[in-house]
Amino acid sequence: MAKDRLTEVLERYEAVIGLEIHTEITATNTKMFCGCPVEFGGEPNSRVCPVCMGMPGALPVPNKAAIEWTVLAGLATECKIAPWSQFHRKNYFYPDMPKDYQISQYDLPFCADGRVVIDVDEDGVEERLDRETADNVTITDDGYAAEIGITRIHLEEDTAKMIHIGGAEGRIAGAKKSLVDFNRAGTPLMELVTEPDLRTPEEARRFAQKLRLIWLALGVSDCSMEEGSMRVDANISLRNHGDTELGTKTELKNINSFKSLHDGLAYEIVRQAAILDEGGRIIQETRHYDVTSKVTSALRSKEEAHDYRYFPEPDMVPFQFDEAFVARIRERLPELPDARKARFIREYGLPTFDAKVLTSDHEMVEFYEEAVAAAGVKNAKAVSNMVLNDLSAYLNTSGLGVLETKVSPQHIAELVGLIDDGTISSKQAKEVFTFMTESGDMPAAIVEQKGMKQVSDAGAIESVVEKLMVQFPDKVAEYQGGKKGLIGFFVGQVMREMQGQANPQVVNQVLADKLDNA
Amino acid sequence: MSNFSIAELSAAEISKLVTSKEVTAREVAEQAISRIDAHEKDIHAFNQITPDMALAAADALDEKIAGGATAVELGPLAGAPVAFKDNMNLVGTNTTCSSKMLESYQSTYTCTAVQHLLDANTLPLGKLNMDEFAFGSSTENSAFGPTKNPWNTDCVPGGSSGGSAAAVAAGMVCATLGSDTGGSIRQPGAFTGTVACKPTYGRVSRYGCVAFASSLDQIGPFTKTVEDNALILNAICGKDDMDATSVEREPEDFTAHLGDDITGMKIALPTDMLETQGLDPEIKASIYEAAEKLAAAGAEIGEISLPHAKYGLSAYYVVGPAEASSNLARFDGIRYGHRVEDAEDVLDLYMRSRAEGFGPETIRRIMIGTYALSAGYYDAYYGKAQKVRTVIKQDFDDAFKDFDIILTPTTPTTSFKFGSKTTDPYAMYLSDVFTVAVNLAGNVGLSIPVGCAKADNMPIGLQLIGDHFQEQKVFHVAHALEDIYKFHSVPANLK
Repeated sequence: MAKDRLTEVLERYEAVIGLEIHTEITATNTKMFCGCPVEFGGEPNSRVCPVCMGMPGALPVPNKAAIEWTVLAGLATECKIAPWSQFHRKNYFYPDMPKDYQISQYDLPFCADGRVVIDVDEDGVEERLDRETADNVTITDDGYAAEIGITRIHLEEDTAKMIHIGGAEGRIAGAKKSLVDFNRAGTPLMELVTEPDLRTPEEARRFAQKLRLIWLALGVSDCSMEEGSMRVDANISLRNHGDTELGTKTELKNINSFKSLHDGLAYEIVRQAAILDEGGRIIQETRHYDVTSKVTSALRSKEEAHDYRYFPEPDMVPFQFDEAFVARIRERLPELPDARKARFIREYGLPTFDAKVLTSDHEMVEFYEEAVAAAGVKNAKAVSNMVLNDLSAYLNTSGLGVLETKVSPQHIAELVGLIDDGTISSKQAKEVFTFMTESGDMPAAIVEQKGMKQVSDAGAIESVVEKLMVQFPDKVAEYQGGKKGLIGFFVGQVMREMQGQANPQVVNQVLADKLDNA
Repeated sequence: MSNFSIAELSAAEISKLVTSKEVTAREVAEQAISRIDAHEKDIHAFNQITPDMALAAADALDEKIAGGATAVELGPLAGAPVAFKDNMNLVGTNTTCSSKMLESYQSTYTCTAVQHLLDANTLPLGKLNMDEFAFGSSTENSAFGPTKNPWNTDCVPGGSSGGSAAAVAAGMVCATLGSDTGGSIRQPGAFTGTVACKPTYGRVSRYGCVAFASSLDQIGPFTKTVEDNALILNAICGKDDMDATSVEREPEDFTAHLGDDITGMKIALPTDMLETQGLDPEIKASIYEAAEKLAAAGAEIGEISLPHAKYGLSAYYVVGPAEASSNLARFDGIRYGHRVEDAEDVLDLYMRSRAEGFGPETIRRIMIGTYALSAGYYDAYYGKAQKVRTVIKQDFDDAFKDFDIILTPTTPTTSFKFGSKTTDPYAMYLSDVFTVAVNLAGNVGLSIPVGCAKADNMPIGLQLIGDHFQEQKVFHVAHALEDIYKFHSVPANLK
């Protein structure tokens, strides 16, 4: 997908995007309506019981912890918590639904009417044409911020996992055999629905990423797109700029990465525009984005004929949440990514860029916080530099995740401390860092072992400088004649003499003093 | 002692004989097995008989008694022969719901209420016939053939818990469990002259009882005596972590007021209900007679109106099928149950497995329920029916501000002949006209036999309705009626 093609289309049409994001609540140890454990993988059909297998006579009992996690998620996205809510049955036949109805929520979800603010910078900014005028958009230093409405967050049970053998693209149509693994069936599943407030594929991606960060900060889910614990569906339609009515939408399903979300939407926008350009009509349908072929295709399904026959779940009584309950859950709210970013700027004195990058990755920010806790707030910027430069570079080249290396926050803190107290130079620190990634030894031990201590003793440096001035009288003369740049030559010589262990600041100071006053 | 008879004795009496070592539990089990053998071909109360299970429970009990366990430790039901409606799961048995769909379905777990009775040292004799998935009022909808009424085998035992009623009335076992969604305990109780109670919604866990209509279903006992009924309810009631609609209550003993004077007890006759068209004059007369006798015993009789009860049947036939259509969706041939062998695809598998597995009444209810929940019809049917439910409940709540008990007929007629109503579903549905309102409102209702009709010599049952969780009052008054009428549930020819 050529980027300029999307930009060109977005100049002529306004894209209207809404997301439906399903997140498995992996923070609870048990399923939504029974006591079976919630885990990924495992022997098929090993974590099942009469309830989650839909055996005759089995009844669902709601998982209180999952409901509390959902309320917490609602509070984190500024939703209103319903004082009165209940589960409904969504009736449809499919082998991945053991009861042939899904216990979900209909008109009385636990959370509604919230918002999440997303930041768009770099490439994505230009795609939003009305960024100067849109009500929900604020221009920032490096792009813009957009407030995205949350329609609702409700709770339901996940389906079983199916494997179709012999059907096209792993679908049930035409399959010779279908296997069902009920381990996942009944896992608590939160569904968040946004307002159609998103206007570009980049905004959609940023929203999903931001939501993932919030969920991770809460600890509600491991949010693994690969393992399916976070799943994104996107509704997309086009209209002329200035129109208020929505165009016919298509729905992208089974998106398994943020990149696919962006690319699938970009493809769909261009595809829809081409149809509209020719005077055609968009068919309302569910489409699948294929990452290999990079195109979307219609899923053959009879879903448009579905009538889910929702009715209140009679196996459970409705829920009443009083203010005390909501207040109790609110106390569990941790610091959220935006608040943390602001604190980094305010209390750690980090540049906005640092704060933004650090808080855009949950593992990275937790790592950083731990390192700052060990190194002291006065070293917060130095820790940030090391994390964003040395560590990030190492992660890029090694392909490892933050938690997969031998470098702990304590390593970083100690290394920063060694620079701060002048034990080693920044240059030496780079070497120590490399040793650290290889051995996992603590920086102080490496410095000790390699005899890398920095010499800051002015006397020792002076004697070296004096020796060199004798050795290079002509350079001294040139320097004194005005070629001040030669100080670099002398720094190099001192460093060579002292095996790089001289404190560069002291060397500079001594050199300037001696050469100027010789 | 070998001249005891299950047909003559109550569960409590048998239990006393067993725990006082006058008879062994094994003797009780053996007699129950031989009585079932003798009468089952005429009555067909059972879908599955479990002699091995009963004998094993008996031997285990005899061992406890030999080991010195006291009557108090063993409980007042120890040694009582019992059986369960075939919609209740019991590991070691099939749970068929009298449907071809589940003909070979083996229980993977045990229903909470059933487990409570097993824990009470009762002897489980088997699983009892019913209308398929509890849809019906005569057991004629069973896929395995109807159960006969022990009082007249040309007549139906009522339904849907017809097997549960007949097994007690035939003296095969002392007590059974049934389930009641619109009258499925009380109506067969009335037809067979047994004491039959539908407890307050939430009183007994529904876990393990195959759901018909989740907001209406309740498990309850069939017995020959009021005391037995109260004892069984003592054993099976209580909050269950596996049923979110079961209710936590202070422990109470439902036998506490049996035999107490009923002076001052306020009993209401719903005069408008008693004018219901089709109410047998003998049954109507029996209500007024019972009221007089209760008044003579000290009760205060008054009249009330239940103006919305007449809409109960209509509301019930929307709510019940609607919930049933969803509850029965799981019988899809995928994980268990009947499945066609040569399905072309998943839709074909669903459609033909269900078409073959379900009987006509089940299909009718699923279709009614599916229609009632469909987009565009929900408000007119399900929504409206729920509103009717609210006003019916309000009628009862108002009545119970002034009265302890409401006395009504259990059924508009006594038991009817096989085939007499099978071609007219609506006539069959009318059997529940006095019972459905109690399910819709969630109250307790109990049917107590007060004699036989002169016209057909078939038992007449009267219904005592109590406020939510007022089972004690219901048993109290029921016991007074039992004392007055001294009706015997087992007909003389079967003793």
